[in-house]
Amino acid sequence: MKTLQAKGVSKSFGGLKALSDVSIEVRPGEIHGLIGPNGSGKTTLLNMICGYYRVDDGRILLGDEDLTGQDIQTRARLGIARTFQKPRLLQDLTVLENAMLGAWTDHEASFLETAFALPRNRKDEARSRDYARELLHGVGLGYAVDRRANLLEHGEQRFLEVARALALRPRFVLLDEPAGGLTDHEIDSLERIVLTLKDAGIGVLIVEHHTDFVFRISDRVTVLHLGRLLKHGDPHTVETDQEVINVYLGA
Amino acid sequence: MLLSVLVTGLAIGALYASTALAFNVMYSTSKVLSVATGHLCMLGGVFGAYFIQTLGLPIIVGFVGALMVGVIAGYLMELITVRRIINRSDEHLWLLSTLALATMIQQSVALWWGTEPRPFPRVIPQEFGAGMADQKYWLPVVALIVIAIGLELFYRLTMYGKVFIAVSEDAFAARARGVPTNRIRAASYMIAGLIGALAGFAAGQLTFAYFALGHVLTLMGFIAIAVGGLGSNLGAVVGGLLLGVLSSLVSYWFGGEYQNTIAIGVLIIILIVRPEGLFGSKRVRHV
Amino acid sequence: MSPNVRKFIGALAFLVVAAALPFVTDNIYYIRIATLIGIYWILVAGLNLVIGYCGQISIGHVGLLALGAYCFAILAGKAGVDPWVATAASALLGGLCGLALGLPSLRLPGFYFAMTTLAFGMIVAELSVAWEWLTGGGVGLMVPFYPGEFASPWGFYWLVVGIAAIVSWLVWNLGRHAWGRAMISVRDSEVAAAAVGVPIYKIKLYVFTFSGVLAGLAGALFASYQSYITPETFVFELSMFFFVCIVVGGRGSILGPFIGVIVLAALPEIVAPLAKLGTFFYGVLLLIVVLLLPEGIGNLIHILRDRFNPIERRSSGIVPDLERLAAALRQGGMK
Repeated sequence: MKTLQAKGVSKSFGGLKALSDVSIEVRPGEIHGLIGPNGSGKTTLLNMICGYYRVDDGRILLGDEDLTGQDIQTRARLGIARTFQKPRLLQDLTVLENAMLGAWTDHEASFLETAFALPRNRKDEARSRDYARELLHGVGLGYAVDRRANLLEHGEQRFLEVARALALRPRFVLLDEPAGGLTDHEIDSLERIVLTLKDAGIGVLIVEHHTDFVFRISDRVTVLHLGRLLKHGDPHTVETDQEVINVYLGA
Repeated sequence: MLLSVLVTGLAIGALYASTALAFNVMYSTSKVLSVATGHLCMLGGVFGAYFIQTLGLPIIVGFVGALMVGVIAGYLMELITVRRIINRSDEHLWLLSTLALATMIQQSVALWWGTEPRPFPRVIPQEFGAGMADQKYWLPVVALIVIAIGLELFYRLTMYGKVFIAVSEDAFAARARGVPTNRIRAASYMIAGLIGALAGFAAGQLTFAYFALGHVLTLMGFIAIAVGGLGSNLGAVVGGLLLGVLSSLVSYWFGGEYQNTIAIGVLIIILIVRPEGLFGSKRVRHV
Repeated sequence: MSPNVRKFIGALAFLVVAAALPFVTDNIYYIRIATLIGIYWILVAGLNLVIGYCGQISIGHVGLLALGAYCFAILAGKAGVDPWVATAASALLGGLCGLALGLPSLRLPGFYFAMTTLAFGMIVAELSVAWEWLTGGGVGLMVPFYPGEFASPWGFYWLVVGIAAIVSWLVWNLGRHAWGRAMISVRDSEVAAAAVGVPIYKIKLYVFTFSGVLAGLAGALFASYQSYITPETFVFELSMFFFVCIVVGGRGSILGPFIGVIVLAALPEIVAPLAKLGTFFYGVLLLIVVLLLPEGIGNLIHILRDRFNPIERRSSGIVPDLERLAAALRQGGMK
């Protein structure tokens, strides 16, 4: 069972210390919430796990494998998928094509095989199209499959990002503030999707501000404050912790 | 002989350095690298020749006229190719718009002025046998010194200059504090136009009034920036002068046909070995 | 009938029409123009993937065209090598030079890359004058015709049409499958591209090299078309022309730039004042498109369709099908 870990990671930007000696672990089939006030370093930590920032200190591990020096694409190939705080979609392409993009790492046909439309390319296409379609129906976007992505509403964009992440066939999905801007109904749908991911054995890390949402579905919660680990444990313990309440949750 | 090679190199290098400074000024307020930067210099040279030689105006009038053309060109550049583009999410659009403008400027000058390099008049009375002391060598250097010192004074002493620096560091915050970023940007582009036209005018006797200078100077000015580091004025000056001297030496040793090739070779090497340039700083990208 | 099948049939129909041109008109002039358009398209088809799909601003492809042209002229002309071999060599040379140019420069930010391509074009121009012993310097070189049937204007035209058709098919395949999506992700969001494992640099390099092959190939045909080439034949303005065809024609599209090449190449022939304005006109066109319609005219159809055919918003919101999702995940497995 491979866990995804950040061990004792630190990061500075110029003079600003964004993270100090932070550790976090996501197990397969676990939903792990990562919360904290603005500037606490949540997104920085997520970005470091994915490989967008280099660690100054510490390590990123997948099972025994040290990911610390590996680039983003390698980590994607190893099964780490993510969504973004601000959805990053390809506006000119359809919803289906955007989702199919997530399957790039399973694409086997070479440049020339693609140019000459050889069988391996056609098989790749069929496979990724079918899978993407299933995922899109699964997340609830079946009705929009052939719609151009620039016509999507905010909630639809977020769900498309989730489908694209799933098209990668990930072991771990890292969601960066996925509930931002969603209606209550959509948050409810998102919740049920994330629970389905958990059932499928995918490890989920959720960076979020909607603390109710996080406490409701997480198996474990980590709280960051000013770049340091403040509290860590099961939702109830964290939710009722006095320091967490003082710093973040309020009275 | 070698001395004359160096003198030529410094002169042409001064022009490259001035172009690079113009790049920096525009970049500082807009984060845009204009393809038409070199064309500002070209306009200074062409219009200088036009006013003084063709129209027969007094030299000082022609000089001021050329500077005005540069200022207007800079303003139009900002207005047409940058202002509307800068808010769009597509990063490359300013490259296209400035490229379009550069093409338009170059081609219209070609149609009007002709495609042959035309001689540039004497600016100061001087015999033609002056050799290395000929004004075509030291005018560009003087222009560079004036520009460089002028910019330093501007940034350090004037209110406008300080605002420039604020805008370049964080345009968003500057706008939030009520700084009229559009006007600042327009002003910086006008200054760049002034710099370019001044440099082009001063170097006119060296380069002749030639419509095709634009792209060459943009490229050379850019190489100077790449060598010296984007955003660094010292780097621009050092990079430009180094490039000019190197070009001149290469011409001397291998013949003039390899100038561009060597210059680009330098560019490639720098970009591989030290992409931030000699005096530049690495940039972090935020996700 | 799926849209892809429709497009394919449409292309086939167009091919038939194009091939029929010599039967419709006796006027060599029209056949020559059409041949030139075909040659331009062979280059633009590849460059389109670089600019319109990968979003890399390359303004030096006239240099690759020149390399292919001189290679053909020297091998088939001066050295008497078989023209078909010489053509293959030109394509190969174009690819190698594309690779050599792309390797150091494709890692750089957009402006840096654009300047490097500009510089490349200038170097080729400079060397084609300087290396007189090879290129004939300013005097230039004579270029032979292709052998046999292909020596006549219509024979050569059919050769070009045939090659252009195959090239079109290749780029169409590349543009609409996984590579096409990967290219567009490189253009529109490198961040998203990396997140799904797209090897950004590798994609750019493959595509740029491929565009070099096509440019070299076009160069060989172009040289034979001109029958006499000098350094003056290959000016920066040509790079601008190719570039503008693509940006104006529409990004992320094969058809847009194709129509762009036809229209922009034919326009100066039909509208005489435009011929005089030449590149100035291209500059104006580029500016207008960038300011008003940056996605290009080819994508106008999408914009209009969206404007006049608004989507009905669902009142029920997003309703996941969790069983279907679970089944898919089960079947798909994990990496």
